[in-house]
Amino acid sequence: MQINYNFAFFDEGSKREIRRATLKAIAIPGYQVPFASREMPIARGWGTGGLQLTLSLVGRDDIVKVIDQGSDESVNAVSIKKLVQNTTDIRTTDETAQATLIQSRHRIPEIPLRAGQILVLQVPMPEPLRMYEPREAETKKLHAEKEYSGAWLMLFEQIMNYGSMTTGADHPVMVHDRYVMAPSPIPKFDNAKLNASEALILLGAGREKKIYAVPPYTKVVSLDFEDYPFETESFEDRSCRLCGSTGVFMDELYDDVSGTAYFQCNDTSYCLERMNEQSWREGAESR
Amino acid sequence: MNFDAVHDIQRAYRKVVESMSRPGLISDLTVEADKADGQWGGLPVTWVLALMLLDTEVTFCICSQREAELTGLLNQLTFAKRTEPEKADYIFVLHDAGEGDLLKALQGAKVGTLADPHASATVIVESGELSEDFELSLKGPGIEDESFVRIPLTPGWLEARAEKNAEYPLGIDMLVVDKNNKLLCLPRTSRIEEREVLLWDM
Repeated sequence: MQINYNFAFFDEGSKREIRRATLKAIAIPGYQVPFASREMPIARGWGTGGLQLTLSLVGRDDIVKVIDQGSDESVNAVSIKKLVQNTTDIRTTDETAQATLIQSRHRIPEIPLRAGQILVLQVPMPEPLRMYEPREAETKKLHAEKEYSGAWLMLFEQIMNYGSMTTGADHPVMVHDRYVMAPSPIPKFDNAKLNASEALILLGAGREKKIYAVPPYTKVVSLDFEDYPFETESFEDRSCRLCGSTGVFMDELYDDVSGTAYFQCNDTSYCLERMNEQSWREGAESR
Repeated sequence: MNFDAVHDIQRAYRKVVESMSRPGLISDLTVEADKADGQWGGLPVTWVLALMLLDTEVTFCICSQREAELTGLLNQLTFAKRTEPEKADYIFVLHDAGEGDLLKALQGAKVGTLADPHASATVIVESGELSEDFELSLKGPGIEDESFVRIPLTPGWLEARAEKNAEYPLGIDMLVVDKNNKLLCLPRTSRIEEREVLLWDM
């Protein structure tokens, strides 16, 4: 294949900058390391942070998977996958277990990650205190002083106003008992997967020029109160319309014609895998 | 075989990432180090790390008997600037460094500030042979329960490092390499304890 760019798009200097920041991020779990974010051929806010991490990591032996809110086939995921593939000529996959590098927007795959895999999350807003304090210099100070009452105050106000914590996604977490961190807009359902993960998790915010990390086996606790414990989205009594899974994160879809709501796995590759397994089993039984 | 500045560095980097995110995990960089300049003065694997991490954006210093010569060499190779140990982003303590150099380097290294804990030094040390012997016990992020390693360095380095890393998130991160091209990382979060040697009455 004729590649008109340096391997993995970036010049080596850019990779070095991102790599240095990444190593610092791993050494200080949850701390947002500033880095010289590059201009990318996709718009800022469309996964440039994640993409820069992916390109700084990727090598010839890697198998890359890119998902966008659980889907391998959405435009954003496909475009990023194509960019990586066109500039590296490496293999891509939909199967979570096969991938060595997984870039994801707003989901952690259902299949548990293992050692040897790296999950890269795209982050629009890396600063968990930003809603409460707009000035970067101030939020840096708050992190420095471990002054996180603002983070709890935000949750407290939600409870006062609505009776429960209403963070739909991006529910703040405490990492290694030190830094409050925005886990990127993953559903609360996925927060638990951050804690003591077997795979390294890297988070990149291109527009905000920050890289941070959750190393494997690191304590990650979702913020909550004694009397208002952290609760994930519940899919009790629900099963996927297509594969019948229970206990996974599901999308609620509405059928206009029949006027009913139904549920479906959000992680499309997981769903597909389950369905293939089922049809294989049925085929084997009928033989 | 020539050293590939793109792919060999990338492969080596991924091993550093693995070792940094799993303190105590010993990575083998033989494939990359074998293509490195073995004659530069330090270990080949250190040369790979220097190429991976250094450029005009960062500063470094070297502790070695041939400090001046090797400093010039790394500067020519990477364009990184030499600076005082107290200000350096990357401190290289080579195998031929004088006794006490490592302790001095650890004690003098910058630890960052509370607002910018990443503005700290990374210390790259050439050590005796690394192994997974039950000598030091490591705990902290990246380690499921406990991991064990043997890192033969100047006595007193554990205390010097612990003192430097006492006020988390301030601290220094270490990359330790040996002549067998092995690498292990000690991020500031790792707590190291010396294991008591049990003596059995036979």
